[in-house]
Order: sequence, then C-alpha cells, then structure tokens
Amino acid sequence: MTNTIRLRDVNLHYASVAFRERSLKSLVAGWLSQGRTKRDLSDIHALKDVSVRVDQGERIGLLGHNGAGKSSFLKMVAGLYPISSGSREVRGTVRSMLDLSLGFEPDATGRENILYRGLLLGLSPKAMRSMEAEIVEFADLGEFIDYPLKTYSVGMQVRLAFAVSTSISGDILLLDEVVGAGDARFMGKARSRIMNLVEQSEIMILASHDLTTVRQLCQRGLVLAEGRIVLDAPIEQAIKFYEKNFSG
Amino acid sequence: MDYCKGIWAARHFWWHLSISDLRSRWRRSFFGLFWSIIQPLGLTLLLSLVFSRIFGMRIAEYAPYILSGMIMWEYVVSSVIGGSLAFVQADAYIKQTRHPLAIYTLRNALTGLIVLATGSVALIGWVLIVMPQNFGWCWLAALTAFPILGLVAWAGATITAYIAARLRDLPHALGLIMQAMWFVSPIYFEPSTFRSGDLHALVDFNPIFHLLQIARSPLLHGQWPTVENYGWSIGTIVSLGAIAILVGRSSEKRVIFYL
Repeated sequence: MTNTIRLRDVNLHYASVAFRERSLKSLVAGWLSQGRTKRDLSDIHALKDVSVRVDQGERIGLLGHNGAGKSSFLKMVAGLYPISSGSREVRGTVRSMLDLSLGFEPDATGRENILYRGLLLGLSPKAMRSMEAEIVEFADLGEFIDYPLKTYSVGMQVRLAFAVSTSISGDILLLDEVVGAGDARFMGKARSRIMNLVEQSEIMILASHDLTTVRQLCQRGLVLAEGRIVLDAPIEQAIKFYEKNFSG
Repeated sequence: MDYCKGIWAARHFWWHLSISDLRSRWRRSFFGLFWSIIQPLGLTLLLSLVFSRIFGMRIAEYAPYILSGMIMWEYVVSSVIGGSLAFVQADAYIKQTRHPLAIYTLRNALTGLIVLATGSVALIGWVLIVMPQNFGWCWLAALTAFPILGLVAWAGATITAYIAARLRDLPHALGLIMQAMWFVSPIYFEPSTFRSGDLHALVDFNPIFHLLQIARSPLLHGQWPTVENYGWSIGTIVSLGAIAILVGRSSEKRVIFYL
C-alpha cells in the first residue's frame, strides 16, 4: 500500500471555550451576570482552506513565522486536532515528534519510562525489551538510567525521550524542530540518528526555522502565513520566497 | 467497535501504567503493599469501637460490615475523584498520540481495583475467622463484585474526567457530592438504621446499597445476592456507561483543546 497524505480544504478552529469559562465558579458567575456585555473571545482560525497532496517518497519542509500554523498543520496531519471542515486522508503509520520532553512518569526509573514510552507509541513489551539495551546506550545517561525520572535534568529528559522516539520508525514522519536536543556531543549523534530515521520513512514533513537543515533534507517547501499555504514549490524557490517576504 | 479495538490495541500501555502507579504507591514505604491492608483495617477497628457502642451491636460482626463498606466505597470515591483528573494528568500523552481517551480513566479504575483486591484480603480473613459458617459456594458471587465495581468506577471516572477537563474545580465539588451520597447510603450504617427511621427508599432504591450487597450478602450473611441486587448494579453500569459514551462521542476530540 502506498503512503499518502491528502488534504482538501481543511479548516482548523481552536474552540474559544477552551480559554474561557474554566471553572464551575466562573460558569455560575456567568449565569448570574448574563446580559452584561463581555468582550467575547472568538474561535481562532488556525488553518484556512489548506489543500495539499503528498505522495510516497516526498520530503517536505514547512516554513513560516511563529504562529503561522506550522505546528497546527503537523498536529492536524497526525490526527491530534479535529478538523472543522474539509477532508483529511492519511495512509500509513504516523510517527510524530512534536513535544519531545513531554510524557514521563516521574516516579518510575529511566528504564521503566523507556518501556512506557515504547508502549505509548504502540509497541509490544517484547519488542521494547529487545530494543532497551540499544536505547539505554544511545541515551548515554550512565547510572542515572536506574534512577527515578524526577531526578533528571531537563536536558537528560530530552535525551531519553529522543532516544526512545527515534528508535521507532514509521511510514510518515512528522518533525517539529527536534534536531536541537542536548549538548554538542549529543547533537552530533542525534543528527545522524534523525537522518537515519528520515531515510527509513516514506514521507517526511519537517517544520523548522533552521534553513540549512531544511535545504539539506527536503525537496519541496510549503510556506505558511496566517494559517494559509501561500506557496507550494521546490525547496530552493520556497526558501527564497520565504527569505524575501518574511525575514529581514 | 473501532473504539474498543483501540482500547485493546493499547492494552500494554494502560496495563503498565497501572502497574507503575501501584509501584510508586508502594515504593519506598516499609510496609509497601501491606498499607492497603493495614490502613482500612485500623480505621475499621476505630470506627467499629465507636459505632458498636452507639448502636449497641456486636463488634466482631459489625466490624466486617464497616470494613466491606469502607474498602468498596473508598474505591468508588477514589476512582471518581481521582479519575476526574485522569485526562489532565495524562495531557502529555494525549498531546502526543491518538489513543482512545477511555484508557486513561481505565488506568485509574484498574489501579484502584488492585488496591481493593488487596484490601479485601483482610476482610475475607476476618470473616473466615469470626463467621466461618458463611463460607460456601455463594462466595463465588462475591467475586463478581470486582468486575461490577470496576465497570462502575470506569464509567464514573470517564464522565467526571470529561467534565473536569473543562471545569477544573470539579474535584472539590465532587468531594462534597460523594460525601453527601455517603451520608444517605448504608455504607457504614446498617440498613436497619435507615429502615427504623422509615427511610426505606434510601435502601431499596439506592444503587450503592445493591452494589455493596453483591459482596456483602455472601461474605457477611452466607447468602447469594438477590436478582434485585444484580439488576440494580447492572442498571447502574448501563446508565453510567451510556452517559460516558454519549459524553465521549460529543467531546472526545475536543478534549485536547482544553488541556
């Protein structure tokens, strides 16, 4: 089966209720003060009429300012955010690396957390046990691997998360600025591991501000601005367009 | 159906998270697992000393009544209140992967169920010593209390988790509600106390009474639970489950925005 992503007129709204009316208290207070006019927060229109077709083997770079919709785009493709209209069709297993340092059990040891994260990503305990030694070695945390995770520094947590997440490949790889993890020595190792993962994947979408990496890894570029795709072109052209219109 | 498949596909994940919860609960404490037995037992001794004086009952038989009420009710309360934070605590997982959200409340319900099972060891031991005549085939029925309570807790936790994702101060309100339910139910007080006060409805039409009765009838009286007990219990599961499914269907996808 071929892996494809097909998006047709996709719109994504962040519901405004999410940042209003967050407690029983304010809900009740709201009922009592009805009639009084409040400044209304409206829904955020994060992606507007996005239509893209990505086929097997494509490497795509997402360019755009902070808030242009890059992360929303990736999360929408990953199926995390519900779209409000249009159609989204994704074929293939999606492996997304969006918020790396998130999602550990603080009381469990590093080793246990490797297992949990692997299971979170849908692997069996058996498969995880066979991969454990390799992940431990790559994370290179020394004796800390058997300490509870709450004793870890942020950098160590990122390393562990990175080591686990990058050891599992998928058909469709979604990356959001994850290449910058850990210290200089780790960065070098991390880079080659990411490249490896990118090679194994059938489709890759990378959102990054690091234009050198984007140029190196991608062939096609999408430039996003205010939730719209303003340009869909070969990467060199896209980078030129982005530099001309959005930076400096 | 697909939803159930998703829950099954993620079984390793929630199962290990539950075990992890238990481990961190019992880790670094001298008694470990035994806390789950000692704690309700100690509280029961204290309460039954007081209550048996007040109500003039034999402590040896009243104490297991309190103990059974305590461990089962504690389980329901901790699942419903603790479970209401299930999505909030799992936000990192929810933001990264697309598993059915019900697995996060299942994790809570399951952890509690294992704690309940350990707590019931003390209850069974006590009953075997004090009322050995009750032992018999009907004790098999007491085992059905586990899946029944588990499903009630899972459905209840799922409902409150959805509401609490949106209204974060819900756990405080829930504490109040659960306490009110405790007062009007035969959990520590005997049904006869309610009946003598002409409050039959609080016993006969109280799902909590029927739920507890499934374990209490066989253990404390050596009798099979009645069809009515099962009817009410299953009715509770079905109605809570239906609400959970309806709430989930309408807002499961939007939960990620609230976290």
